Amino acid sequence: MALVNISSPHHHGLSKTSRLMGWVLLATLPGLAVQSYFYGYGTLINLLWASVLSLGFEAIVLGLRRRPIMPYLTDGSALVTAFLLALALPPFSPWWLTLVAVLFSIVFAKHLYGGLGSNPFNPAMVGYALCLIAFPVSMTQWAGTEATLSFSQQWQWFWLEYIDGGIDAWTRATPLDLMRHTKGLTLNEVASTNPQLGLGLIANMWVNVAYLLGGLFLLAIRAFTWHAPVAMLAGLGLCAGLFHMGEPDLYPSASKHLLTGATMLSAFFIVTDPVSGATSRKGKLVFGAGVGILVFIIRSYGSYPDAFAFAILLMNLAAPLIDTYTKPKAYGHQPKKPHSQGDK
Amino acid sequence: MHKIWNFHGGVHPVENKTQSNQLPIIVMPIPAQLTMHLSQHIGKVAKAIVETGDYVLKGQLIACAQGFVSANVHAPSSGHVSAIADRTLPHQSALSGPCIVIDTDGKDQWATLSPTANPESLSKPDLLNLIQAAGITGMGGAGFPSAVKLQPKINIHTLVINGAECEPYITADDRLMREYAAQIIAGIQLVQQLIDQPHCLIGIEDNKPEAVAALTYAADQHTNIEVCVIPTKYPSGGEKQLIEILTGKQVPHGGIPADIGMVCQNVGTVKAIFDAIILGRPLINRITTVTGKAAANAGNYEVLLGTQVADILAFAKVDLAKTSRLVMGGPMMGFTIQDTHTPIIKSSNCILAAADLELAPVADHHACIRCGQCEVACPAQLLPQQLFWFAKAEEFEKAQDHNLSDCIECGACAWVCPSQIPLVQYYRYAKGRLKTINSEAQLAEVSRLRFENREQRLVDEKLAKEEKRKARALTAAAAQAAKRAANPSAEDPVAAALARVNLKKQAKTNAATQKSTEDEYKELKTAAAITRTKLNKTRKALTNAQAQDHEQAQALQQTVIALTTKAAAAAAELHAYEAKLGLDPEKEKTLQLAVAKANGVVRKLEKSLATAENLQQLEAEIFNAKAIHEAAGLALEEHQANAKEKPTSTQES
Repeated sequence: MALVNISSPHHHGLSKTSRLMGWVLLATLPGLAVQSYFYGYGTLINLLWASVLSLGFEAIVLGLRRRPIMPYLTDGSALVTAFLLALALPPFSPWWLTLVAVLFSIVFAKHLYGGLGSNPFNPAMVGYALCLIAFPVSMTQWAGTEATLSFSQQWQWFWLEYIDGGIDAWTRATPLDLMRHTKGLTLNEVASTNPQLGLGLIANMWVNVAYLLGGLFLLAIRAFTWHAPVAMLAGLGLCAGLFHMGEPDLYPSASKHLLTGATMLSAFFIVTDPVSGATSRKGKLVFGAGVGILVFIIRSYGSYPDAFAFAILLMNLAAPLIDTYTKPKAYGHQPKKPHSQGDK
Repeated sequence: MHKIWNFHGGVHPVENKTQSNQLPIIVMPIPAQLTMHLSQHIGKVAKAIVETGDYVLKGQLIACAQGFVSANVHAPSSGHVSAIADRTLPHQSALSGPCIVIDTDGKDQWATLSPTANPESLSKPDLLNLIQAAGITGMGGAGFPSAVKLQPKINIHTLVINGAECEPYITADDRLMREYAAQIIAGIQLVQQLIDQPHCLIGIEDNKPEAVAALTYAADQHTNIEVCVIPTKYPSGGEKQLIEILTGKQVPHGGIPADIGMVCQNVGTVKAIFDAIILGRPLINRITTVTGKAAANAGNYEVLLGTQVADILAFAKVDLAKTSRLVMGGPMMGFTIQDTHTPIIKSSNCILAAADLELAPVADHHACIRCGQCEVACPAQLLPQQLFWFAKAEEFEKAQDHNLSDCIECGACAWVCPSQIPLVQYYRYAKGRLKTINSEAQLAEVSRLRFENREQRLVDEKLAKEEKRKARALTAAAAQAAKRAANPSAEDPVAAALARVNLKKQAKTNAATQKSTEDEYKELKTAAAITRTKLNKTRKALTNAQAQDHEQAQALQQTVIALTTKAAAAAAELHAYEAKLGLDPEKEKTLQLAVAKANGVVRKLEKSLATAENLQQLEAEIFNAKAIHEAAGLALEEHQANAKEKPTSTQES
């Protein structure tokens, strides 16, 4: 047999990109299940549609870029983007909304920047933010929890955007919306006058808990380090807690912030995106904390219902800078004496 | 129990040690031929001191260390030197290097050895000399001459003995520790005696309980030798990592362990030191693991240095048809070889004959997603993902800035990489390029300095020449003044100057009528030339006419005779004038030629200077040629000056 000439190491661990992506997909399932339980079939239809579109666009663009299609298609990164988008989009998304979001994510945010590994922004968040700005009405039609659409109704809305009695009968404001647009009332008054808020908060909480579980699973198998998600949750929780202490009537508590909206989904599935985030562990702490603080600011003072897409994109912009200033000290670079600074 | 620290990162590859560590070390028979590389160590190549055809004894010195960082080479068995030639080096590049090839005679006859009965009596220089003479180098991997490592400049408080053997598959040190524990401890004591009795810590991974037991037993009576069991984690056997595990201290960037008062030696090395000092035997053999799925008799073998891999593979019943990859060293840091005639050297600890799919296949790698697993695994606390991007984009300075030089190429990053990127290759490439860039910069700096020196020298020379000329003019003036002073009839200088000015004025006014000497000379020259040409023309016409017309020929003959006399007269007049002026055109021509020739020599030498290697000699030659050129130039100048001075002086006097 011919002896090969290759460079060391000749050994390799079991880690593989496709396996890593597979674990991420698996970890979203509890969240997906709880979300579907509370808000109906919309998310499931979204997920299938987005997956088909995502793989399709990925294959076409890989073909256009003359890259090997199968190895890249099977690395699972396109599916992860599709899943994250589908989970973030409202359950009442019509087919074209998902299509625009996926198209923008895969073709523009990912491949036009050089494909997997080279995109400066999180592709799913780019697609999401684009749709939020371009189609604010469709993007804020969130389902209520009291009554969900039947599968056929959901399907009809998905394809034809038609439903008997109009969609408004089925949509509800999200808890975050209600808590922000208080119309001069205190939070307690909003809660007492609007029973929806309580219901919404409970549904939101369970969804977030499910994503938290998925995230903890990923942490346990070391799909990522704890730094970014913990820093993000700490940043958001700390800001919310401080402001709530100051003005409890205006600012929801830290626990409400942590367990509503897309907090846990973002913390464990989006902030942890290694490609567009900061790279060193110290950098990940800064990156995560930055996202947390921005989320609090946008949620409290911005005009959009949830803030993750913008907060993450803004921190994506800052990631290279963060990397520059958070280079870890290499072996043997520790200063010998406390007063000497060592190499910088 | 000694405290154990942790080091950052590390990985846990499948150990694969049981294939080779179950049986005792087997002594391999003497092969028919031994190929001794003269460069089995880091540093200068040793110099062969035997010749083809010589008969050498086992243990006889056959190549001498050259310089401080180098090592002796000895004959591993008796036989005849059959060749001193280049053979394949045990290196990834498969380049060749100088070797002494010995055809063994099977007698295995030892040279006279000088064992030491009581090593306590040996002084430090004696011990060092013995280690140096035995050609001992680090046997763990790098092959650094031990004698150099064992003469630290500062006080050593800790001696770290490396028995970690963290690479998968390799069990050579494991078996060595089990079977030669007493010798290792005795070797350690010798090293302690040599470097002021430092405390000794032996680091052994916890996957080698038998070795730990053997050494603990052997070290039982020694209070300043401690056996430390460390957790199995690759690369705990890296010198810097082991030091951190055992002492919690890090070797400073760019430094060596001695900077923090430590010296690290491999167990194999201290065993070799024992052999060298107590038995008087130089380093001529070592324990090498032969393993891998293609090896039927995997195990540890005591092989003579210089044994070809092919012989060892045959002895260990390796099925070459089943082998797809032959690795020298372990699977994490070893290198592949293709030529089975590659010999074993002092640092060859393992031959891994891997069957298909036993080792990681050459996979297509995917894009880096900056997952950061490499950062978690990196024992040097670097950012491998960033280094990879910098190497790929050829941003070598940024890579340097991210401490690429601290990378120990352990391969942990590539091992964990989910995209299966051959990261270490990228780092090696970047390191190589940085080295080239740095050496180029150095060369450019040297060239710049040389150029500047040359410019400065030229300016200095010019100035010196000017000085000389001025000095000459001064002496000439002084001489004239003295002459004038000596002449009592001399007028006072002011009057003389006035007279000169008057004379000049007169000359100017008479310019129309009175020709200057130079013009006269020119005129004479032209007249002579004209008559010469006229003569030549008429002569030609004459020869033509002689063939046709006799009458005309006679008339022409008359003219020729007349012209000949005229030309002779003109030439005579010219010569007379030249003599009067003191000119010598012949001499001037030869002088000019000499100057041109000398100049040519200088140019040529300077040109070869740009490409030449023997700079000093060339520079000396150029200096010499320049001196000749200068001399020739001076002679010419002198001559011209004389020629000019003469007419003026005649005019003046």
